[in-house]
Amino acid sequence: MSIILEARDVRYRYPGGPEIIRGISFHIRKGEKIALVGPNGAGKSTLLQMFNGMVRPDSGTMLFDNRPLQYDRASLRMIRQRVGYVLQNADRQIIAPTVWQDVAFGPANLGYDGETVRNKVAEALRHVGLTGFDRRPPHHLSGGEKKRVAIAGVLAMDPDVLVFDEPTSDLDPAGSEDIMELLDELNHEGKTVVISTHDVELAYPWADRAILLLDGGILKEDRPEVTFGNPGLVRKAHLSVPAFLDLSLELSRRSYAQPDRKPRSVLDMVEIIENLLHGTGWNHTPGTITVCNVDEDDRSLSGYIASREHLAVGTMGTRAKQRAQKEGLVVDFTYGVIDKCILRALRGLDSLVLTTGSMTERVVSRVDAYGKESGNVIRVVPLAPAGKGPSIEDVDGE
Amino acid sequence: MLEQLLDSVAQQNAFRCVHPGTKLFLGLGSLLICLVAPSPLVPLVSGIVLSLVLIGPAHIPPVTYGKVLLGPAVFTVISVVILLFLVGGGEVVWQFSPFAGFSLTITEGAVREGVLVLCRVFGCSVSLFFIVLTTPLTDLFNGMKRVRVPVELIDLMMITYRYIFIAYDLAGEIWRAQVMRLGYRRPVEAVRSFSMLSGMLFISSWNAGEDLVRAMDSRCYNGVFPSLEQAEPVSLRSVIPAVLFLAFLIGLCGVVLMAPDGVMTVI
Repeated sequence: MSIILEARDVRYRYPGGPEIIRGISFHIRKGEKIALVGPNGAGKSTLLQMFNGMVRPDSGTMLFDNRPLQYDRASLRMIRQRVGYVLQNADRQIIAPTVWQDVAFGPANLGYDGETVRNKVAEALRHVGLTGFDRRPPHHLSGGEKKRVAIAGVLAMDPDVLVFDEPTSDLDPAGSEDIMELLDELNHEGKTVVISTHDVELAYPWADRAILLLDGGILKEDRPEVTFGNPGLVRKAHLSVPAFLDLSLELSRRSYAQPDRKPRSVLDMVEIIENLLHGTGWNHTPGTITVCNVDEDDRSLSGYIASREHLAVGTMGTRAKQRAQKEGLVVDFTYGVIDKCILRALRGLDSLVLTTGSMTERVVSRVDAYGKESGNVIRVVPLAPAGKGPSIEDVDGE
Repeated sequence: MLEQLLDSVAQQNAFRCVHPGTKLFLGLGSLLICLVAPSPLVPLVSGIVLSLVLIGPAHIPPVTYGKVLLGPAVFTVISVVILLFLVGGGEVVWQFSPFAGFSLTITEGAVREGVLVLCRVFGCSVSLFFIVLTTPLTDLFNGMKRVRVPVELIDLMMITYRYIFIAYDLAGEIWRAQVMRLGYRRPVEAVRSFSMLSGMLFISSWNAGEDLVRAMDSRCYNGVFPSLEQAEPVSLRSVIPAVLFLAFLIGLCGVVLMAPDGVMTVI
């Protein structure tokens, strides 16, 4: 994949202060999920602000799309449109008195006409699940909703890269999970996503690559299991080893698990333990995962769910969550849905996943990938499309 | 807290979806009529009717409404009491002379003037509160743009409106932190604490201002502050009652003017 953002030996010092970025070089490829991890004061925010030209390095070069960043007005506008930046504090990012005005701020300043602005805003608000919030003033919103407004404001400019400074720092656990799910959704739609965080538990399962920063330099840059797998480095950076990784290190020290297989999720961990206990292979027939695309399917699902006893329901994406809420469905999982469904299927239980658009394929590809890796075949079937099946009660996930 | 309460009432009342032009027309119209009406009857009727409308169809909680009215009420009552003794004319109604060479007198003219002022303030306040409680500021910005208020001014007002609540929350936080550590126990400490609060608020507002510029820059600010488009059309269902009400008030003014002098003194 081609490189979209690159830093070449960038250095920066705040006027009158110590050098905060001390010669950093790295690159980010298109479509990657990158976590910039480090303690407070490591220079994460400053580095992120270099991505869209908010901070100009004292020396060294930042490149976007293999071209060095120019710092004249026109070039800065271009780069800021293509690299969307979401501040840590949503209250500082939201500048307009109503949600609609705030989301429209970017598109209006890019000079789009009224109709385009309206479409962009409607699309961005739909994306983050805030349709109908147009006229609400930001101070009447919850922390998670404010964060979503801030993200919508950036999405409305249709950037290629999304940069988030501490995306979950002011949110409760459920709110954080929602935001991480949204980031996944955006990444799946082709956006490159870069976050800074000091929450290793959050970064570890999420990121494609993790960059460990300390004192303005890169300590380690690799796949998360490698970056976080070195207790010495992690301790040096005032962080902690993610629990799964810690557990697997401890298991492999007791020679219970292969040291080369690093679990990133409950699913991975369960598989390692199952292998330890039973060897490979499962005794019972796995359950089925049924996928419903709520964008295309507007039939009532409550009957379908009620008619199946041990069915669990998971929602992926904001619109799926809204749909479930609208129908008053009891949702069992909203985060890490595919893994949880696979785990259920392995226990012989069925699940229904409500999802949207392109995420449907993701369920299939993720389960297929798991099947190839583990040898357990789990069936993923779409909910029979409207009009083809006789009625939703008779559809049996074929 | 009242400021925030007012804003949330304005955002949530049942008249939220009525076109702001209609609400402004009704509020400003009745304000004007109350101001020029020759008799206290007109503003009194206007005030009572609009109050009932606010509590009834607009679903404004009566307790909130009462609290809002209490502010001008205290102020008005004090003013009217002073007015009673200041204005002269007509027969003496009440006199009090505690010692020679000094007396407090209330005359008939003063009573009439006092009642008129009281009713006028009541009618006008209710007219204004009708706008304040049913129309959020965010809706008014759009109207301002339409009546050619300079865009720079509106942009500033919008940013101010947005940041007032943030500054307010922050001031509350600092204040609570100070109270928890007994910052306002003695007058000297209160002065010191308050100056500290003001200083902190200034510094953080300054920082917020710098962040604002950064936030605007990172979204390609080019001088455009989009304005919210009006979602709801002007509907006859709300315009007709408003016109009828104002016509009724004007009619009432006419009746009062036409009435023979005997009736005039009664009302």
